[in-house]
Amino acid sequence: MLENFLQVSLNGLINGSTYALLGVAFGLIIGVTGRFHVAFAVTYTLAAFVAAWLTMYLGAPFWAAVVAGALVAALTGSAIERFVYWPILLRTGANGLLMVFVASLGVSIVGRNLIALTTLQNSATVVNGFSNVGLNLGPVTLSSLNLATATVDWLLIVSLSQLLARTSLGRIIRAVRANHEMALCVGIDPGAVTFIVFAIGSFMGGAAGVFQAALTSATPDMGITPFFYALVVAFVAGLSSPPLVVAAVGIALGLVESWTTLVLPTTWTALVVFGILFIYVALRPLRRGLASA
Amino acid sequence: MEIAFQYIDTILVFAVFALSLNLLQGYAGQVSVAQAAFGAIGGYALALLFLDAGVGPAWGLAIGTIAAGFAGFLVGLPALRLTTEWLILLTLAVQTIVVTLVQTDHALGGSFGLQNVAGLRIFGLPLDEPSQMFPLFLVLAAIVYLTCYRLGESPYGRVLRAIRDDATACRSLGKRVYAYKLTVFSLTAAMAGLAGAMLVIETSIASPTLFSFDQSAVIVAMVVIGGAGNLNGSLVGVAVLTLLAPLFDRLLPFNEQAAFVLRLVAYGAVLVAVLLVRPQGLYPDAITRRLERALRRGGPALEVGAEAALEPAIPSVEIVRQPSRDVPRDVVVSAEGLCKKFGGIVAADDLSFRLFRGHVSALVGPNGAGKTTVFNLLTGAIKPDAGRVVLRGEDVTNATPDQIARSGMARSFQSVRIFPRLSTLENVMLAIPGQPGEHLVPLFLQWRGTSAAERAAREIARNWLHFVGMGAHEDAPAGALAFGEQKLVALARVLATDAEVLLLDEPASGVDRRWVDAMLEVIASLRDAGRTICIVEHNLHVVERLADHTYFMELGKITAEGDFNTLTADRRLVEAYFGVV
Repeated sequence: MLENFLQVSLNGLINGSTYALLGVAFGLIIGVTGRFHVAFAVTYTLAAFVAAWLTMYLGAPFWAAVVAGALVAALTGSAIERFVYWPILLRTGANGLLMVFVASLGVSIVGRNLIALTTLQNSATVVNGFSNVGLNLGPVTLSSLNLATATVDWLLIVSLSQLLARTSLGRIIRAVRANHEMALCVGIDPGAVTFIVFAIGSFMGGAAGVFQAALTSATPDMGITPFFYALVVAFVAGLSSPPLVVAAVGIALGLVESWTTLVLPTTWTALVVFGILFIYVALRPLRRGLASA
Repeated sequence: MEIAFQYIDTILVFAVFALSLNLLQGYAGQVSVAQAAFGAIGGYALALLFLDAGVGPAWGLAIGTIAAGFAGFLVGLPALRLTTEWLILLTLAVQTIVVTLVQTDHALGGSFGLQNVAGLRIFGLPLDEPSQMFPLFLVLAAIVYLTCYRLGESPYGRVLRAIRDDATACRSLGKRVYAYKLTVFSLTAAMAGLAGAMLVIETSIASPTLFSFDQSAVIVAMVVIGGAGNLNGSLVGVAVLTLLAPLFDRLLPFNEQAAFVLRLVAYGAVLVAVLLVRPQGLYPDAITRRLERALRRGGPALEVGAEAALEPAIPSVEIVRQPSRDVPRDVVVSAEGLCKKFGGIVAADDLSFRLFRGHVSALVGPNGAGKTTVFNLLTGAIKPDAGRVVLRGEDVTNATPDQIARSGMARSFQSVRIFPRLSTLENVMLAIPGQPGEHLVPLFLQWRGTSAAERAAREIARNWLHFVGMGAHEDAPAGALAFGEQKLVALARVLATDAEVLLLDEPASGVDRRWVDAMLEVIASLRDAGRTICIVEHNLHVVERLADHTYFMELGKITAEGDFNTLTADRRLVEAYFGVV
């Protein structure tokens, strides 16, 4: 019983690390730029497919494929910002949030189905090249791929945290997050910052996508569920929270989700996660006072 | 032939979905990415009732609609107090929860859904072929269209559009904003439920994929592509996206699977292209078109021939200055010991003052003295930490802004807060109290009374617009007016509330000199008609000319009060106001 609990908790920590990475990445984008970036799911998926193609058809080494996939995600994310969101916001002004959200839905539909076109003929799309072995750690086990995933998750989270806290780029990003107009007034170009933020966030999300594809396989709609997890983590943590706080929420979500499987069938976990989100959001006006109604 | 009916049926089903979302999003300004989820409630209700209890589609449609409406009510309770991004998030959560629920519940068929909802008959007629469904669907879609039209293009819809443009300003005119949002959210969820039930009839299956997040996204796309705020626009949006299906399925040389995927690519591409090229949609509503034209011209949208009215038509009222006003007067409003802190900042510190009938009182003081906070405290926009507000003997300290407005104390805003996508006349009409057409029961049951009241309201609003000299611009979108003109329209709007107490926040700031004079005359004539007026004003000439009694505020405190000339003779106050003289 105890061993089972420990194993489930370890699984929760490993999944939670990925949720943490996703939440941090998505939270960075929406927190700094205000864009409700649904197409985050597309860049996540694209990274997985690019990595899979590289290992399947070119025999690229695993880690090179991870980096290449994440880089393609970064480029794509920035391109979406530059060629879709930015021009729309120039024209819509006050209504912008909703319009960007809708455009993002459009980009997701296009992206996901373009990827789906490539899968019509062949069977499974997988990321090869990682020799996965089981590791026995006393009462619990985990695979080396799990370990690698969690390590990379935390490497990226801590790097971003350090970047924001210690570098001048990080200071500029935080300035734009705190106040767009004021940042503009002190000579920061929010457009450029937005562009960089999309690149960083999409890179991090893309890395998560590649590892997911290595664990199972790459499918066109593999991005939807992780996107929802990213949403939950980012919003529950707060859109202007530092990365480590967001990451803590991700870990908590992973643990809660794992522990629910001890008492409920696994199909119910999504319900629990979104139930938490619903209650959290629904209670928000009460926490905030009713003045904003 | 049947294939044509099949596409037409699909158009009708999605027309109901899109009309419901358009009323919610285009009129009331609320977002929902859960329309498909509400559709699932209606659809599964119809399927379950038929398969398990043999209940026919007539009852299935009705019960499905009501169930979805009730679900919408429950979701709306917390959701409608949220800002846009949180509302998106919450409806996303609802969408996911509903789909996950139907997917995991074996009684609902899991991932495969409830199959074989076939052999339906309504009023004895079979519903097996698309052509047999068509008359039913046409009637239902027509009912939904007419309902949305009645709700949207009426005094009720005027309130919805005002909430969309500026909920705070709408509340300050006495409207129960939250109740409107909740009602319209429930109604549109019910319509989505009806559409979902129709979809199940059409496909004879109720499955999770039929009501997935993607379907919700497609419904949003239809509304945005067509043009939010225009019901006919949604029909265009539905037609465009639905007819992409035959294009890809039949006319272009793709295999079935590829055609399906490419069609979705096209959906998304059309959506993004429309947003990039025409963010207002293919067929936006009339006032948006006018507003765009005006803004493109780069100036206020004056009607042709209206230039003659550029000089303000000063209302013909006698302005009688009555200097001897020390006789005891009716106290209409009294503030007693109001305190309010924002963190460490004391915005109001034990404020007490009174406003008298037939008096103009003025609040003056340096920037940051807390003058606008006083208005916010009086009108319930913020609650005081201590103290109370009494309006005609009644304690209104804990009343909401709309309750206070209905009790007879109305305010204007320093930043105008006009409703830009309402016409000038509509801005003023909205403020008129007691309109039957703003409530559902008279709106649908007393057509004649509603339209008579609407005509009367139009006349009253015209009079107020003429009163402030803006009569020539009644059809212009308020967002296209110059700032000074908007200020006058906002004044007409607050006057139209018929409130006994008027709180005017910087009525003269940013207004052209010519208009200032017009405005002063208007305010003076109201004072003489027995209204209770309080102004916050930086322009001391305005205060000098209007104020019967002046309160001087510094750092949240009233430090002096009395006659304007007495106050300005005090060297310390002048220094506090202007800095060192």
